[in-house]
Amino acid sequence: MLIASVSTLIFIDPSAVLESMLAGSNAALRLSLELVAVYGLWLGFFAILEKTGASKLIAKLLGPLIRFLFKGASLEAQKLISLNMSANLIGLGSAATPMGIGAIKELDTGGKKANTNMIMLIVISTTSLQLLPSTVISLRTQHNSQAVTSFLLACFIATVLSTIIGIVLVKIMSKIFPDKPADVLPAKGLMID
Amino acid sequence: MFSQFIIPFAFLLVLLIAIFRKKDPYNYFIDGSKKAVNLVIDVFPYLLAILMAVEVFRVSGVSAFLAGLTAPVFGWFGLPVELTELLIIRPLSGAGSLAVLNDIFANHEPDSFIGRSASVVYGSSETIFYVSTIYLSQSKCRNLRYAIPISIVATLTGVIAGVALLRVF
Repeated sequence: MLIASVSTLIFIDPSAVLESMLAGSNAALRLSLELVAVYGLWLGFFAILEKTGASKLIAKLLGPLIRFLFKGASLEAQKLISLNMSANLIGLGSAATPMGIGAIKELDTGGKKANTNMIMLIVISTTSLQLLPSTVISLRTQHNSQAVTSFLLACFIATVLSTIIGIVLVKIMSKIFPDKPADVLPAKGLMID
Repeated sequence: MFSQFIIPFAFLLVLLIAIFRKKDPYNYFIDGSKKAVNLVIDVFPYLLAILMAVEVFRVSGVSAFLAGLTAPVFGWFGLPVELTELLIIRPLSGAGSLAVLNDIFANHEPDSFIGRSASVVYGSSETIFYVSTIYLSQSKCRNLRYAIPISIVATLTGVIAGVALLRVF
């Protein structure tokens, strides 16, 4: 993709190559600064959840669902997944991210290829079960929409459908292509760290 | 609205639980927040690579070219031609696709069929490549096997169904 894009730009406007790459890098830096603030807020909040035992309560509530979706996940992983899912559900994708990174780390068995549990979490997070798409609603308001919420029902059905299809497909695929120990477990003698 | 109350309520509830259990929420908060800087430092190179590639992809016009190429396929599933670039950028970058959505709202009314379809596309999908890259940023695993194809198929099916519903109502 990058090769195709850069080679096209060389013909149209060579000076735009570096310019657009720098624009992208700048956007990454701006986003990172913003993320430090957002993650700082949420990681702090989640630490209080964790230490007061409230995260255990959320994990218990979502427990049956999580144990059905993630076979053999550790208790720590279940806690992180339940926080990740509840944050995603209320439309706080950036609050869900630090929990998602932690959950993937916890589910990782150290192999080169992802195991079924990691795939399940990625699919659930990327098919976004979102109750309220607040970004779209505010952008529609800015553009003077007369019926801001007119798309919500269709949107809700689309997001629920995509998550269900994703989960079902992962369940099917994991039956057809089960985890091979050689792929998902680290090779013996290679566990240096 | 519902979402306006849920977050303040959650904060209040957690602080009350902390006080009730005689814990010190301030120090916990500080300990948790400390991790944010290192987390973002770990994630930064991935962010940079993705956003850089997406920017070149958009500026070069390759994304628009691809959109023109794939429009008939999407059209066959009932998705308006005007949405193709949004559909292509959406899995890559949230900021990039928000810019495309903004253009769509500016060029077509947000309440038109195209505007409402675009709202469904943006609202019911995620930045698939972005999220999966960031989630894996602290893990050694680099092979996601069938995860991405499943996410794309599932998201597209949802979007197609959502837009079809818009035609009915």
